[in-house]
Amino acid sequence: MNRIPTTRLVVKREVAERLRSRLIWVMTALTTVFVVAIIVIPAVVRQPAKPTVVGLVGSSAQALGPALRTTAKAAKVDIRVVNVANSAMARSEVKNGSLDIALSVGSDSAVAEVKQTLSPAMAALLEATVDKGHQRRVLGEAGVPLSTVLAASAPVPFSTTALEPPPSDRAARDIAALAAGFLLYLSLGLYAAAVANSVAQEKTSRTAEVLLAAVRPSQLLNGKVLGIGVCGLGQLGIAVTAGLIANAAVQRAEIPSTIWLLLPAILLWFVLGFALYSFANAAAGAMVARQEEVQFVTLPIGMPLIVGFLLTYGAIASPDAWWIRVLSFLPPLAPILMPARLAFGHAAAWEMPVAVLIMVASVYGMARLAARIYAGAIVRGGARLSWSTALRLRGE
Amino acid sequence: MLEVSDLFHRFGERVAIDGLTFQVGTGEIVGLVGRNGAGKTTTMRAVMGILRPERGDITRSGHAIGPTDRLRFGYMPEERGLYPQMRILDQLAYFGQLHGLDPITAKAEARSWLLRLGLDGRELDKVVALSHGNQQRVQLAVALVHHPELLVLDEPFAGLDPAAVDALSDILRAEAQRGTAILFSSHQLELVERLCDRIIIIEEGRVLASGTLGELRAHFPQQLRVKVDASTEWAAQLYGHGSFARTQTAWCFSWSPARTPRRS
Repeated sequence: MNRIPTTRLVVKREVAERLRSRLIWVMTALTTVFVVAIIVIPAVVRQPAKPTVVGLVGSSAQALGPALRTTAKAAKVDIRVVNVANSAMARSEVKNGSLDIALSVGSDSAVAEVKQTLSPAMAALLEATVDKGHQRRVLGEAGVPLSTVLAASAPVPFSTTALEPPPSDRAARDIAALAAGFLLYLSLGLYAAAVANSVAQEKTSRTAEVLLAAVRPSQLLNGKVLGIGVCGLGQLGIAVTAGLIANAAVQRAEIPSTIWLLLPAILLWFVLGFALYSFANAAAGAMVARQEEVQFVTLPIGMPLIVGFLLTYGAIASPDAWWIRVLSFLPPLAPILMPARLAFGHAAAWEMPVAVLIMVASVYGMARLAARIYAGAIVRGGARLSWSTALRLRGE
Repeated sequence: MLEVSDLFHRFGERVAIDGLTFQVGTGEIVGLVGRNGAGKTTTMRAVMGILRPERGDITRSGHAIGPTDRLRFGYMPEERGLYPQMRILDQLAYFGQLHGLDPITAKAEARSWLLRLGLDGRELDKVVALSHGNQQRVQLAVALVHHPELLVLDEPFAGLDPAAVDALSDILRAEAQRGTAILFSSHQLELVERLCDRIIIIEEGRVLASGTLGELRAHFPQQLRVKVDASTEWAAQLYGHGSFARTQTAWCFSWSPARTPRRS
């Protein structure tokens, strides 16, 4: 007799039945499309930044052209300067969009006309150029030699040294952190809920009673968690692989340098997070009397997932904040926050292994607690059990 | 084959089974009879290891029954339990494998039982697509697919039409002839009389009487039994007629018809 170990049989059934369902294929397709979309869409819709077109109206303004170009170059502002014959023409071009700014300079005043608003940086650039022109004219009229005037108004080389420079791929890391957070939030939420529903279905349809005549509760529970987890990991693996292929296809320059650490981390934290949440959900699913009660009993368990995802935004704003660091070690939040911190590149080398160890210990504790509740509650008839009653039940 | 000794279990303060002792031999069909709440289902769940009794021993040929022994048992609970969305053939093969059959044998046995139960051609249907009677047949097949040594069937005939009852009776007889010990509960006394080698009557968790039909008839002459609420005033007047027992909530009087008292 070639007997297959019981837990493996339960895993096989869970996987086979789930793969037979259309829902898993739809969800896999949607998750994969989501991951590919957040990589491909920005690359497709991204357009190169256009220079600001400044129209210089009249000879006084046009005389400032070289100085404006020099100042803009020193300030690293991309502009294109064109001469315009008169105010009416300049105004018309601003209105139709061929000019961004029309600059007119009088003897003691200057006017910049724009369609709607002028950025502070651009306003400061124009003001500095107009002031420089004014100084040259006044000094020239006072008899100061031209060479002295030019030397006095030449830009002084100015540089900035950042003591803690942000990574050059900061924006890409932010997107990667958000995408990882969302993907984990979605996958953990969906698959942990699937465990609760499946346990509740076996209980309410009384299938558990027939199964437990041949299978120990721990074998049934572990097999179910493993089987559904394998499906979730497969789905996430397909989505992540598709994301990598899409990334290679569009050849984005913005691929964050942390990606090679982040991708396996997503899969690792899915496994750990799924184990924690699914054991908790299995216990909750075994406590219900009717299938409709599953959502109610699992709602408090799923709340940390939502909090974890929302905290990802906080982590983007201040990745070094002490409270983000502390929260990322808490087992219910770690599966989302730790990969996000990894995406930012702000997690120290020791933090990830320590967080994993804390998580593994929590999963072990949760698995034992869930096994105890499950064994007592799964064949118990009557009304929905409270947590305190479920904890008092005798297990296998 | 199966020995149950001094089994005791409570649900809260309520005693469900109270010192129950009985045996089921190899190839024997034993009927467990009693009113609702008498303790039949609790006893069967204890035998199957689904419920852990507070006290008592359940043994198989002298040794305590463990999970490995239970793989050789077949069980049909009172409230039927099948995966509604799973294909019938897959479901039977799955349960067969859980009871120790290899995948090929499990599938072959599943097909064979579906044929025997008149469900051939419906292998790929989901359980939810079957009628109540056919679902019951599949449930029976789940209990039988691995050729168990002991069959525990809780109300297996409930809700079946006469033809299905006859078919199921034939199957149980055939299984018993093969050597399977069968313990089943039923409210249908005529069926129990027709099918069982021995009958165990239980009430309030205790064995009231047990034996073959002939033994029961010989040892217990026909009696009438009246159970009335303890607060019923006229019940006190029955005191002194026949045997008398009192529980917390009721008076119980038993007497032979020849000595039936007249209500005054």
